[in-house]
Amino acid sequence: MKIHKKLGRHVLLPVALGIGASISGMALFSQGASASTASGSASSGSANSVTYGGTGGSGSAPITYLKLNPSTIALGKTLFVENCSSCHGDTAEGSSRAPNLQGLGAATIDFWVSTGRMPLADPTIQATSKPSRFTRQQTLAIDAYVSSLAKGGPAIPIVNLGAASISAGEGLFSTNCAACHTITGVGDALADSIYAPSLYPATPTQIAEAVRTGPGNMPRFGTGNFSNQQVADITKYVQYLQHPNNAGGIGLGHIGPVTEGFVGILIGLGSLMIAGYWIGGRAH
Amino acid sequence: MNYKPIDWADERLGIAKFSRKSLNKIFPDHWSFMLGEIAMYSFFVLLGTGVFLTLFFVPSSADTIYHGSYAPLDGHVVSQAYASTLNLSFNVRAGLVMRQMHHWAANVFVAAIVVHLLRIFFTGAFRKPREINWLVGSLLLMMAILEGFLGYSLPDDLISGTGIRIAYSITLSIPVVGSYLASFLFGGQFPGNSIIPRFYTIHILLIPALMAGLLGAHLAIMWHQKHTQYKGKGRTENNVVGVAMWPAYALQAGGFFFLTAAVLAALGGLVQINPIWMYGQYIPYKVSYAVQPDWYMGWLDGALRLFPSWEITGFGHMIPTIFFPAVLLPGVTFGLLMAWPWIERWFTKDYEVHNLLDNPRDNAWRTSIGVGVMAFYMVLFFASSTDVLANAFSVSLNFVLWAFRVLIFVIPPVAAYVAYKVAREASSAPTVGKPRKAMVVFRSTEGEYSSEESGPRREVDLKFSALHGNEPKPLPEEAKLHGIEADGGVTQENSALIGSSVAAAKPQEIEERPGEGSGKYPVSRGTPGAGGGLFSPHNRKMPRRRKDSEEEK
Repeated sequence: MKIHKKLGRHVLLPVALGIGASISGMALFSQGASASTASGSASSGSANSVTYGGTGGSGSAPITYLKLNPSTIALGKTLFVENCSSCHGDTAEGSSRAPNLQGLGAATIDFWVSTGRMPLADPTIQATSKPSRFTRQQTLAIDAYVSSLAKGGPAIPIVNLGAASISAGEGLFSTNCAACHTITGVGDALADSIYAPSLYPATPTQIAEAVRTGPGNMPRFGTGNFSNQQVADITKYVQYLQHPNNAGGIGLGHIGPVTEGFVGILIGLGSLMIAGYWIGGRAH
Repeated sequence: MNYKPIDWADERLGIAKFSRKSLNKIFPDHWSFMLGEIAMYSFFVLLGTGVFLTLFFVPSSADTIYHGSYAPLDGHVVSQAYASTLNLSFNVRAGLVMRQMHHWAANVFVAAIVVHLLRIFFTGAFRKPREINWLVGSLLLMMAILEGFLGYSLPDDLISGTGIRIAYSITLSIPVVGSYLASFLFGGQFPGNSIIPRFYTIHILLIPALMAGLLGAHLAIMWHQKHTQYKGKGRTENNVVGVAMWPAYALQAGGFFFLTAAVLAALGGLVQINPIWMYGQYIPYKVSYAVQPDWYMGWLDGALRLFPSWEITGFGHMIPTIFFPAVLLPGVTFGLLMAWPWIERWFTKDYEVHNLLDNPRDNAWRTSIGVGVMAFYMVLFFASSTDVLANAFSVSLNFVLWAFRVLIFVIPPVAAYVAYKVAREASSAPTVGKPRKAMVVFRSTEGEYSSEESGPRREVDLKFSALHGNEPKPLPEEAKLHGIEADGGVTQENSALIGSSVAAAKPQEIEERPGEGSGKYPVSRGTPGAGGGLFSPHNRKMPRRRKDSEEEK
């Protein structure tokens, strides 16, 4: 950010056109940045308020696990029966329409419910991320109920970002994640109707849950693949990608030369053609 | 002492005669003639910003450990090329804006060349005598695309490294010589350590020098042959109606240079392009999805995506699939492009000299072929972003791919057919393209309405003539003035006058072309009368209107 300001001062724009464009451009850029900050903090805020509690701070383990409150199991059962049992069955034993959830662990349940993918909107397509139907307390109650049915599976991870290395995270992310989620984390379409979703709305807990449980088509990275420290590093880098160093101006969606080409042709060449039409002769 | 530097130079170099001719040279004034200028001015911006970048870029694949100001890459093993590009972006004053201006200028440069080429094509400006300049321009386009690809590859980041990898495979796919070529180019196996320094030499030395030379030739040939002009009153195959180089055209062109530089600087300062710090160092086992080349390579990328995975054998050997979309297609594309003036002549049997441009609607066949071919490359261009389109519109990637495979056969003929019909319709409608005349509505005493076209705007022409020191001569009869065909019965006397009445806003001037029967092109004859000129103390005042005077020689 500091670099960006420094550069701004040294942009020598030869005419008023450039200055005018810079004012409007900066305004656009700052709007875009604040909008994405707002949406990012809104979604992470609701998750953090409960999960983090008193944890955090450097020096402790890279990942700690949330202890679910057994007294919420009754509430969780009510919510599960109301919202999930029509497909997964009353005791999450699964049916012809949906898999057995027993023994998958709290992290799996928490990821699917907290990202809004469950309950499913359309069973014929890939589960879509949407605003969750439940409050954080209600989600944790469902997690508690399902994980009380059978042992096994990972618990809900709380990532200690203070102990994580963003630089190590970049190396792991570019090797293991960029091939589907793209190097900027914006996501992309894969074969058939499968897609790797954007990582921008994900909270630290959701990132770690996805790495450890492998939702949908994503591979599952167990403790044999990544240590807890490495999961924390990746989480920190993905958090960085949500608000990257945007030196140089408007980010154009971070999808690379496609948007750049359109801006170059339509705005760059387009404005110059209009300028030429303005100062040149017209039809005789 | 009244010894002027310009006299000093004239006595040694004899510049007066040349300058006088040059400064008085006539350029037709039309906005579509300025598209090539956008390309040229972008080229100047590219040279300027490029020189700045060479001061800080290190063209080396040698490993180094990055400890710069971009924290997410701290401690990573990167190439010196990548590290120096990061350093250039974050730690060199104005480095990032220069890099971004350079990249935006490259995108606009190629785009302007393409639009310029389309203007030349659709107006038939490539016809005799301008076939050589068509070839030179086509070569410039090919070099611009290659130059852009090389420059895009130099930072050695993850995205551009993938592009080099594709280029290596394409080179390998050429039958018989492919493996040798790839080995020579890369100094052995991919990736090796030679490709970045080699691309650097080609990018900053070889191709820019060739392009500068070809650009000079492009302009010199245009200068020598004189610019084409659209049909209009007083415009014939044998004259040029327009504004003089000095002052009108030079100031207009100079101003346009600054506008171009301003737009490129604004883009470079405000809109991010190629944020290589987010991509990381290229390492062959890493790959990012959503990798597209810069737009001017998009049609090749699209062709690679659309071409089916057939195993084609020829001469008893399998020819690699990518040979067809990535080597054969561009070969055929540029071959046909360069051969077009001769292809068209083969059909039209038109061996005439053409200094007057066609209106695209008046040549429906050429227009429809041009639109069809353009549509073909547009489909290929959009096909290079199949994954981005599928993701943005939440449809299946396979569906998008197959849709493009169908559209590549459907859209070009449909577009060509529609263009043909529209051109024929527009061409036959009598009012299209003609200036509108005011209608005067009358009401009779009985209350009946009738309308009538207003007469020519006589007063304006008269006023204009008086403004520029000419005696307001009696105009030719209105019928003659307005019913004149481009090379109809205009006398030398009044052709200048008609030229001036075409656009009252700017002084129009006329320069004669050598007639077609003169055998070869003599030097420009459109200079002011003998015995003076711009550098003579007796003739400081520039004549407003001139025509060729035979006694000059």
